[in-house]
Amino acid sequence: MSETKAGYTDSPRVAVTADATPLWRRFKLESLPIIVVFFVLIGVYITFAPSVFLRWPIYNSFLITIPPLMVLSLGLTLVIAAGEMDLSFPAVITLSGFLFAYCTLHLGSPWLGLLAAIAGGALVGAINGFLVAVIGIPSIIITIGTSFFWTGVATVLSGGMSYALQNLAEKPIAAIFSGTLFGIPTEALWALAVAVGIWFILNRHRFGEHLLFIGDAREVARVVGINTTRERVKLFTLMGALAGFSSFLLTIQNLNYFATQGQGMLLSALAAVFIGGSSVFGGAATVVGSFFGALIIGMLNAGIVATGVAGFWVEVIVGLVFVIAVVLHTVLGSPGRMKQLRARLSLDGMLRRDKNHARW
Amino acid sequence: MFRGKDMDKNYKHIIRAERLCVSFGKVRALSDIDLAIGRNEIVGLIGDNGAGKSTLIKALTGVIPPTSGRLFIRDEAVDLHNYSVSRAHALRFETVYQEKSLGEKQPLWRNFFVGRQITNRFGFINVREQRRIANEILQRQLGFRGVGIDADSTVSKLSGGERQGIAIGRAMYFDADLIILDEPTTALAIKEVRKVLDFVRSIKEAGRAAIYIEHNLAHVHALADRLLVLDRGRIVADIRPADMSLQDLTTFLIEQQQSREVESVA
Amino acid sequence: MKSVHSMTYAVAVAAAAGLLAFGTAQASTQLGHGLRMYFQMGGSPGDASTLPREIGAKDAAQALGVKLISQYSSWQPQNMISQFRQAMAASPDCIEIMGHPGNAAFTPLVTQAEKQGIVVTAGNVPLPKLEARYRANGFGYAGTYLFKGGEITAQSMIKAGHLKKGDEALVYGVFAEGIRGQSAKGVVHGLEKAGLKVFKLNITDAVNNNPSQAVPTLVAFIERHPNLKAIGTQQGLVTSFIPQALKEAGKKPGQITVGGIDLAPSTLAGVKDGYIAATLNQQLYLQGFIPVLQCVLTKRYGLEGMNVNTAAGTDAKAMIGKLTPLIKKGIY
Repeated sequence: MSETKAGYTDSPRVAVTADATPLWRRFKLESLPIIVVFFVLIGVYITFAPSVFLRWPIYNSFLITIPPLMVLSLGLTLVIAAGEMDLSFPAVITLSGFLFAYCTLHLGSPWLGLLAAIAGGALVGAINGFLVAVIGIPSIIITIGTSFFWTGVATVLSGGMSYALQNLAEKPIAAIFSGTLFGIPTEALWALAVAVGIWFILNRHRFGEHLLFIGDAREVARVVGINTTRERVKLFTLMGALAGFSSFLLTIQNLNYFATQGQGMLLSALAAVFIGGSSVFGGAATVVGSFFGALIIGMLNAGIVATGVAGFWVEVIVGLVFVIAVVLHTVLGSPGRMKQLRARLSLDGMLRRDKNHARW
Repeated sequence: MFRGKDMDKNYKHIIRAERLCVSFGKVRALSDIDLAIGRNEIVGLIGDNGAGKSTLIKALTGVIPPTSGRLFIRDEAVDLHNYSVSRAHALRFETVYQEKSLGEKQPLWRNFFVGRQITNRFGFINVREQRRIANEILQRQLGFRGVGIDADSTVSKLSGGERQGIAIGRAMYFDADLIILDEPTTALAIKEVRKVLDFVRSIKEAGRAAIYIEHNLAHVHALADRLLVLDRGRIVADIRPADMSLQDLTTFLIEQQQSREVESVA
Repeated sequence: MKSVHSMTYAVAVAAAAGLLAFGTAQASTQLGHGLRMYFQMGGSPGDASTLPREIGAKDAAQALGVKLISQYSSWQPQNMISQFRQAMAASPDCIEIMGHPGNAAFTPLVTQAEKQGIVVTAGNVPLPKLEARYRANGFGYAGTYLFKGGEITAQSMIKAGHLKKGDEALVYGVFAEGIRGQSAKGVVHGLEKAGLKVFKLNITDAVNNNPSQAVPTLVAFIERHPNLKAIGTQQGLVTSFIPQALKEAGKKPGQITVGGIDLAPSTLAGVKDGYIAATLNQQLYLQGFIPVLQCVLTKRYGLEGMNVNTAAGTDAKAMIGKLTPLIKKGIY
């Protein structure tokens, strides 16, 4: 082992970072702000609509409707960590849902359908990955194109028709993926399992670390020996597979395939990741944040309407929650910026001036 | 760290390139590079911006594949199809880049080990072990004791000099036989520059080799055993500082450049 | 037929007027006081095919003392299903739904809601099987008879444009959606019965979400078929953009006979200018008002589900004079 080299141990050290780690950070709870926002919102809902939010059924309905969205947000967390973007997952919701419906109705095998849904999504993802990593097209652009393409393919295959899958109601696959276990809807348990898995991949696995470095600075990733091409192809393939699984959860819980399913999930899934605190620039992402972000987004509409707020105001409030959450993250995330902000707003300056004028 | 038997054998040149060429499409970045670095040599690499210094480094360390030519490491031929950064690390080559050594938003325990993480069979990182070793390196070898910087700090909290310190500390920990430094003193304060130069000197004292890219002729003249001048992808001069004073070297380089300008006009 | 549905219309209007008067006169003992109802409005807050429904529902809720909670699904069946789950979880007294997701998708959920004692009723697109099953529990329908409505529109088009056998016509409709596609199929049927050659074009999701996208598609189709004599649709927002498409394709009013649905402001302008010959007035206001009324009548008096055909006919020009001031306020 090398000995200590000259010049490194004899010079006196001066503290580099003048501002100490903020108190709440010392507790090392990942993404605390969004967790606080979550409980604050629950408090608001309970205050204004106690008859709804102090009883179990509404939470049960959330545990059913939120999981497909959450699985998407968890996959997107990895994509965004790597500094990439995937806008094609709504098309996978449509396509994989069709594949599952087809296998169930025409091939009589829902388990094969589950496999087809995941594999179909993975195929879409792999093609995305190839176009992004090998051909070199920016992901935000190319996934818009592939989104149109695969939605179109799904529509052609399905003929635009919706399919009823009621015959699955008594089957074990429905019980496993959209049943109840100890009073908890099983899709929520599956979403939780995916969340735990993604957390370990991002924070404790070599692959996750590669994604973080790729998102941080692609050039750095290359010189430290990460195969950025191969890792990004794997990334998009994984995202596609997760979107396929999400589509399966959605379809089996409705026991119905709608030809337009997936539409309108784009912004919700992305919003969940960003209000959770992951950086759009890549290199820093939080799975816990996306988890609570999905809960918040999934509950927002129902929560607001239950409190009796008129329909027109709902979007205003959704927008406010989003902006506040993101501002909180940006400001709390860097103590330096908090200082800058206070200086700029001259709060201390104002107080000093008033002392001179002896206003109070 | 594992030290293979063939690493200790007797060899003349730690790395040797023969007619190395690198092209990006139609653009020829490096042409017919012949160079050899001795076992205990500090070789300075100088040249104008765009001359190809960074490209040469990347080719020697497996970041980009050479288009043609041969590479010999410890006097043995290297299969260029199999050469990569991981391979270079395994062969005990380490690089300290100016700006792209470290992931800014990532904590130090990741930065020390990325690309060669301590993992279990399934690829899951042994975070505790990496943190422990990182803290050890920080405190014992780099002297970051009680300063508010530990294995969990992110690189963004560190000054330029401290970052170089980390990158160098990483190279030291992995016990390299050849350390390549890509403009390590740019944008550093004077005290920090001195530390880097001391480090380069210590590489020689420890019996290892270094390739040192530098714009500041005074620094590299003082430290290097040999100087290679790179211009437009070719090595145009191989000088021993012992044979040429700093002033003469400066004059020589200026004359070189002027003759090139005449060439291009003619 | 006409007298029957104008009678139903008259009864409904009378009931509405009566209740409004009753409501404003005696606020404290409103018939629906204390009832809570979740209502699927359809599109997005304020869009031309949703606004009158919102206003009708709000008026009824106010007159009857019902607490109304509006839900907006952007016309996405999958959203309608999740919103129904959430509505059920809040245990309201009544829930209004739309038939877009279909009988099969709704049956397990509606069954559960009925077990919980919630009154479920439908509007805009019917759910015939569920309606038959739960009529006694107050499951009614307030909307047009989709296929019939399409046929009526077709017949008005034929009369207004003097269309004859062999003429070319385009029907631009949401063919892809099971029940909802019935209205467009009705138009096709009506036109084909008179011997016209009918081209079918599907309204895509992009257009559903952003109706102005219909214009380039229509212009392209018109230019490709120079002998086109008629365009029919049963999508309200698309109807409002047809005049613009005709103008851009260089057609003068009357060159192509247009039949559509609803009374969006630009549709009315199109009628006035002569671009649109017939538009089916769904009386969306009633699709908001009647389900709220249904809720109160069933909850208070156990009355069964009403099946109300809210369509008023297609005589557009006659409508304009009478209805323009109301339409400006979003009541149509």
